[in-house]
Amino acid sequence: MAKISELLPRSAIVLNLQSKEKFEVIGELVRPLVATGAITEESEFVSAIVRRENMESTGIGVGVAIPHARTKAVSSIVLAFGRSDSGVDFNSLDGKPSHLIFLIAAPEEQKTEYIMTLARLSKLLRKDEVRIGLNKAGSPDDVLRVIVQHES
Amino acid sequence: MQRIMLYVEDTPGMATAAAWALRLARDMSCRVFALSVVDPDAPRRRDTQTSDAEERAWNQLYEVEDDAFQKNVRISLLLETGDPLPKLIGLSTSYDAELIVASADCRLTCSELVRQSNRPVVFVK
Repeated sequence: MAKISELLPRSAIVLNLQSKEKFEVIGELVRPLVATGAITEESEFVSAIVRRENMESTGIGVGVAIPHARTKAVSSIVLAFGRSDSGVDFNSLDGKPSHLIFLIAAPEEQKTEYIMTLARLSKLLRKDEVRIGLNKAGSPDDVLRVIVQHES
Repeated sequence: MQRIMLYVEDTPGMATAAAWALRLARDMSCRVFALSVVDPDAPRRRDTQTSDAEERAWNQLYEVEDDAFQKNVRISLLLETGDPLPKLIGLSTSYDAELIVASADCRLTCSELVRQSNRPVVFVK
């Protein structure tokens, strides 16, 4: 099972998200994953993400959201990370905007790995020191360092 | 009915309880709140780490979420730390759940849940 840090390409770390609206933010995070080739059908993947976002909140509270989808439009499990200074409304149950947004894309057939990745990432992001580190990170390398340091 | 609180735990009967709750939610167009509670005292009893328990809890919650998504059921995930019984009762009240669903083999004391909760409780076997 790959580590979170191994699933997050440096090119898919966006430290200053420009968008303020959640579907635009998702678009910003999807584009680098299309460029890596991990997402093979952009429109199909975005449709799956939008469908899930319209059905449930992927904001897990404490300023974190994890939009995710498992579809045929993805060739391998991959993550993107974006940080928003102003925060984005992901309909979190705690009512707070999300500043740290991790997007997970997974192939249809990799359900177990997908769920384990979601679980490990959620656990990681509940740690105060991880969120503080990600909020302070000045570069993609800093982001990866914070994750490597805290994932078991 | 609009909201169901599903108590999620790592017991053999959990999948059956979750499937029952999701079917009911789909049939009645309800929203499900799936709650898992990490009990910090439990690791000492079961010789496991709290961090392992938290990862397991998220794993179960996302399993339920994935099933809910396939069934077109709206769901929100809740992970809390503390004593499971008061957490379940308190959150059922704050989210205004009209029904609590738990597995019959959950580690909660069933009679205590029924006695203390002011909402209907279904234990699924």
